[in-house]
Amino acid sequence: MKAGNVFRLHNRLILSLILIAVFVWSLFSIKWNADLVHSGGIPTLLQIVEGLFHPDLSADVLYLGFKSAWITLAYAVAGMFLAIIYALIVGTLASGVLTSNKATRILSKVIFRGILGFTRSIHELIWAWLFVAAVGLSPYAAIFALAIPYGGILGRIFADMLNDVSEEPIKALKTAGANKWQTLIYGYIPIIWADMISYTMYRFECAIRSSAIMSFIGLGGLGYQIQLSLQDLKYDRVWAFVFFLIVLVVFVDSWSNLVRKRITERKKRGVMNTGWNSVIFAFFLILASWIYIKLGENAQFIELLSHKNIEAAKRFFSGLIGLQSDQPAFLDADSWSDALKLTLETLEMSMMAIGFATIAAFLTVVPAVRSIANGTLTGSSKWYNWILYGMVRIGYIFSRSVPELVWAMMIIFIFKPGLLPGAIALALHNFGILGKLWAEVIEDMDARPIRNLAMAGASQIEIFFYGILPTVLPRFLTYILYRWEVIMRTTIVVGFVGAGGLGMDFKLAMSFFNYTQITLLLLCYMILVIIADFASESTRKAVK
Amino acid sequence: MKKWFSVLLLTMLVFSLAACGSQKDEKTSEGNKETKTNEVFKIGAIPDQNAADLDKGMTAVAKYLSEKTGLKVEFVPSVDYAALVTGFQRGEIHMAWFGGLTSVQARNLVPDAESIVQRPRDAEFHSVFITQAQENINKLEDLKGKSFTFGSESSTSGHLMPRYFLTEAGIDPNKDFDGKPNFSGSHDTTYKLVESGAFKAGALNEAVWEAAVKEGKVDTNKVKVFYTTPAYFDYNWTINSNVEKVFGTGTKKKVKDALLSITGDQKEIADLFQTDSFVETNNDNYQKIEKVAKELEIIK
Repeated sequence: MKAGNVFRLHNRLILSLILIAVFVWSLFSIKWNADLVHSGGIPTLLQIVEGLFHPDLSADVLYLGFKSAWITLAYAVAGMFLAIIYALIVGTLASGVLTSNKATRILSKVIFRGILGFTRSIHELIWAWLFVAAVGLSPYAAIFALAIPYGGILGRIFADMLNDVSEEPIKALKTAGANKWQTLIYGYIPIIWADMISYTMYRFECAIRSSAIMSFIGLGGLGYQIQLSLQDLKYDRVWAFVFFLIVLVVFVDSWSNLVRKRITERKKRGVMNTGWNSVIFAFFLILASWIYIKLGENAQFIELLSHKNIEAAKRFFSGLIGLQSDQPAFLDADSWSDALKLTLETLEMSMMAIGFATIAAFLTVVPAVRSIANGTLTGSSKWYNWILYGMVRIGYIFSRSVPELVWAMMIIFIFKPGLLPGAIALALHNFGILGKLWAEVIEDMDARPIRNLAMAGASQIEIFFYGILPTVLPRFLTYILYRWEVIMRTTIVVGFVGAGGLGMDFKLAMSFFNYTQITLLLLCYMILVIIADFASESTRKAVK
Repeated sequence: MKKWFSVLLLTMLVFSLAACGSQKDEKTSEGNKETKTNEVFKIGAIPDQNAADLDKGMTAVAKYLSEKTGLKVEFVPSVDYAALVTGFQRGEIHMAWFGGLTSVQARNLVPDAESIVQRPRDAEFHSVFITQAQENINKLEDLKGKSFTFGSESSTSGHLMPRYFLTEAGIDPNKDFDGKPNFSGSHDTTYKLVESGAFKAGALNEAVWEAAVKEGKVDTNKVKVFYTTPAYFDYNWTINSNVEKVFGTGTKKKVKDALLSITGDQKEIADLFQTDSFVETNNDNYQKIEKVAKELEIIK
């Protein structure tokens, strides 16, 4: 046991060192001098900040804001609804609990986990782009684009949960003569459904942001308004719509917190609680969203499968696999070497982004912990702790409510096009998420050792380094790796607006209808995502 | 607990079935109603300017065409150039106001589509290169080492031709600027970015520039034009190949005549297009654009 502990401590140390080394390496990809910000960057920054303090809240902006917020919400709800159905079916199959012998179990695990892995490895905006190119502008393009990767993530988590269910209750059911379906419905699902709902609610918050950026391919919503205002450089309007997005995210966030709290309370007390309000509300939302999409947007599902669309999709995909080109880019050595260079750049961008986010979160996480602010963790509380707590928490909400793409669109006006603006945009979004997750880790930790330290006269900084950090480091590292995986997927999206890497070229290839180039870039992107997935998963296991 | 869940599952199932069912019903009734004459003639425009202005002007065009041709004409806004070309390829946009490059792209994808009408100025169109007034940039060669912004990557006057003339002047836009060039997305954004100081220089459509100066949208004390390109063919109305089939023979001519009959009296249209008349054009006029685009590997 003791030897194992030492080994694990070692592992963490080594991993931390590797991560730091990689981050430093990524910094070398940029020539650090004053030229990074172009000469007009600072005035533009001031204009953007001015807009932040004087958002345009005139009547027609408010009206547009409410309307677009509803569209964003409706797409997110409809997308999540389909994602849940997809995740339940494929997730169950991927867990292998329905199979009877070992061979089929492994086969079904490999196949369906592969499907889930593929669907979640591609960012929702790329799915959306592919759908729009194939079947045209329809709300269903956005909804499916949301449902596919979100279903992939949810399905994988569901499968993991099903596999983690302890053996005993299932064995008991089996010996009592239950068949596979009965063990699933009476054994597995009741055990995990609370966790399932709480994870789904968490994902729903992310879906709101994703739904907002769907508008960048031409589907209405808050992102569309933000983009239009940015094109006219009306920063006061941009912020007004960003505030709408923040309010929407905060609303969903607090709802999901409420639901999760209810569920854990219920688990503790073992009694039926009134979760019906939330259920009814969810039904109402789902119903209203579909009705709106059907009637308000007049979207025809069957039309997606019309002859015309099938022809267009066929043309598009045959273009992708190079049937219409004499010289497909993915068979060309020069194109590959260019694309691989971009791939490396993209990798560097992601490292830099997670590095910046980690530093920012590290510097701010202590005041953001509720149990430090109210003094229960350290045994002492200062008057300014609450003020700091409020400020940092508001900063976190602000940072994570705004999608990376929106951050990137503004930052590109300040920095020169290249890797740095992309990395900063990704870091700005992720530092809020990282900070929030870390703060929760510290809040959940055992307060007794810390109080002991405090009583022994340790200062705040000593408490952090000797008390808190050693205990929470593994969880911190896990979250860093997990966010890095997510950032990797998103790098391509920030590239769309000129922030370097594969995304920029992807956008250009799309604009120039250079289909085989798109295939090549997608291949590189998938290689990158799969590597990131694998690296992060295996290292996470190592530090656990 | 299990009852709770089965209720949830059941209602979800019922609901999803109901949703599918209603979709089908609605679709069939819709399908029967549709006849050829009821089809809406959809026009589009590349989003190269301020969205509000474009919307106002193009809605006026749609209204005018409705009155003249008796068709039900509607303007469909679009967020990016490529999306409009794709819509055109799919036959959903029946006629579009394209730039030179996008019209060539569109005609490559829809071989029988035809460029029919343009403004007199489109036969000899220019791009202007702008910079901040105090900058010592007087010719294209001076742009070396300066930050630079194009318009949309699909724009003829905001990207293709400026890139071509830059290359002619011995400047490689991918290497010789201060950092990579930016793509602002629209002509209006380009001059605003140069005016705000975000970029040292940029290139845009001459017509949009003149309109901005005339309407006082840009401060000429801060921004100056230092180079105007030689002439080339640019914007035009391109009509889709499916129009005669969907709306009946003779539609193409009807629409063309209606466009040609626009005068300065249609103020909203005249304001948007900065013209008081339209003239005929044909596909051959855009061969040079196609050649340049191929040279720069924008069309493969």
